[in-house]
Amino acid sequence: MTLMVAENVSVRLAQRTVVAQASLSLDRGELVALVGPNGAGKTTLMRALAGLLPAQGAIAFDGKPIDVIGPRERARLVAYLPQGHLFHWPMPVASIVALGREPHSDPFARRTAQDRAAVARALAATGTEAFAARPVTTLSGGERARVALARALATEAPLLFADEPTAALDPRHQLVVMGLLREAAHGGNAVLAILHDLTLAARFADRVVVMERGRLVADGAPDMALAGERVAAVFGVEIASVEIDGARVPLLHRPL
Amino acid sequence: MSHSFRLAAALAAIVLVLALVSLTVGPAGLSPRTALAGLLGGEGPAGIIVREIRLPRTLLAILIGATLGLAGAALQGLLRNPLAEPALFGAPQAAAAAASLVIAFRFAPATSFAVPFAGIAGALISIGGLVAIAGRRASLTVTLLAGLALASFAGAATALVLNLAPNPFIALEVAFWLLGSLEDRSVDHLVVAAPFCVASWVLLASQARAFRALTLGEDAAASLGVDIARVRTLVVTGVAVGVGAAVAVAGSIGFVGLVAPHLVRRFVNADPARVLLPAALTGAALLAAADIAVRAIPAAIELKVGVVTALIGVPFFLAMIFSERRMLEGAPT
Repeated sequence: MTLMVAENVSVRLAQRTVVAQASLSLDRGELVALVGPNGAGKTTLMRALAGLLPAQGAIAFDGKPIDVIGPRERARLVAYLPQGHLFHWPMPVASIVALGREPHSDPFARRTAQDRAAVARALAATGTEAFAARPVTTLSGGERARVALARALATEAPLLFADEPTAALDPRHQLVVMGLLREAAHGGNAVLAILHDLTLAARFADRVVVMERGRLVADGAPDMALAGERVAAVFGVEIASVEIDGARVPLLHRPL
Repeated sequence: MSHSFRLAAALAAIVLVLALVSLTVGPAGLSPRTALAGLLGGEGPAGIIVREIRLPRTLLAILIGATLGLAGAALQGLLRNPLAEPALFGAPQAAAAAASLVIAFRFAPATSFAVPFAGIAGALISIGGLVAIAGRRASLTVTLLAGLALASFAGAATALVLNLAPNPFIALEVAFWLLGSLEDRSVDHLVVAAPFCVASWVLLASQARAFRALTLGEDAAASLGVDIARVRTLVVTGVAVGVGAAVAVAGSIGFVGLVAPHLVRRFVNADPARVLLPAALTGAALLAAADIAVRAIPAAIELKVGVVTALIGVPFFLAMIFSERRMLEGAPT
């Protein structure tokens, strides 16, 4: 089932076309990786798809155009995890994760049993219950990344957009976070993740979308989208291929 | 009884005690018993002194202290920064420049609504300019440098007003008023300031949940359904209305907005929404205490309360910079 359809989305920022005519759909149950060199417009496209930037073209969630969806309803449909796992105040982890329930609660309402259950599920899924009471600023980078993800999961939105969820994480946490995203997708959501690591993208994503200078230049199965010639043309990198778990994944070899 | 309620109740009790103490302090040397009898409708000079001199002064200290404490906490919530304070961003300075223009040139009587309106306009320009310059990322360096520039410009504008004041007596009057004081304030001042302060409380308190979401940054907050542009507009307006009105009746009183939220933040788990009420009550307590201190300290000339809050607030600010310097240097926490 298709959860999001975007057609010919263009974004202009400061007199410059950053995203040009991007068309993309997301289905329930799939993890889609969005890859591309720095400055390709990945974050801008994701912010536009999340309704955080004005864009030209048509974006629809569940068949409903984005411009007739109010901000709170949109927030219940799309959970967005920005780059950097930012936490400005040393609030306890549980309070941070509970922010994910914000789109579900009325301005003056207290948290419901449903909210508490969703927060508990998100903490459990990310293995962050153990430090639920700790100030978030005292955690390590890997722990913070999981808390940030738990916050996004707590919304229990059908769509989850994650901008570089594995950046600055140690190897083990990269695998843990990618595993959590895949779990979320295979549990019935659609997940769109911006990734720089092509190996991770090929290993975990069901589909890979390649972006270059504002345009989507490939969209398909990982081995197709990340074929050697395309990676060479888009990233200027020669890759080697290795086989893991029966799938061929690219490994960076040398710059061209 | 929730933890938040107990904290608020304890702070409210402190404010009440300070208010009662404030009614017994002054040059007339009334005993506490006489002062309280005067408050409760006693005839004669004690009743007049307490009800018409000390009570408005006390209520103004609480009103303005609460407004400044809340404005500081709200600005910190908006900018996600414990060092945000209206005075660092030139808000009271700009309000003072605009208000002193009205007072120095006798455009309107000093207790008319024209003075707070001028103050609010000045504060609106400075805080609005600052938040516009700070932009989406609200980087600390940009915010503080813009605040420094705005405060300096407001200072220059005030100097210009003093420079061009029609006569030296008016210039001196404005200069003293600028120091910030609650001395000789009447019910008229209270009536002028109260509606603006209450409006500012309502505006700022209504944005509490947005401050909490903003701990994740503006993009994540927007993705949670927070209308960032609206929050900015309402907070800028709320801070300007509160600070502008406070400056209009009491002159420039700084650093309450910095110190008050900092003192209570740890008791609310750093929650930028739950800190608002305790910060307002702490602001009220701080200003009431400072105003008691200026009357209790034996001096030939009464100290101005704005001088006292700055003398205490600036070292406090330096201590905060010292303890937060790792964060300020951009070190990963």
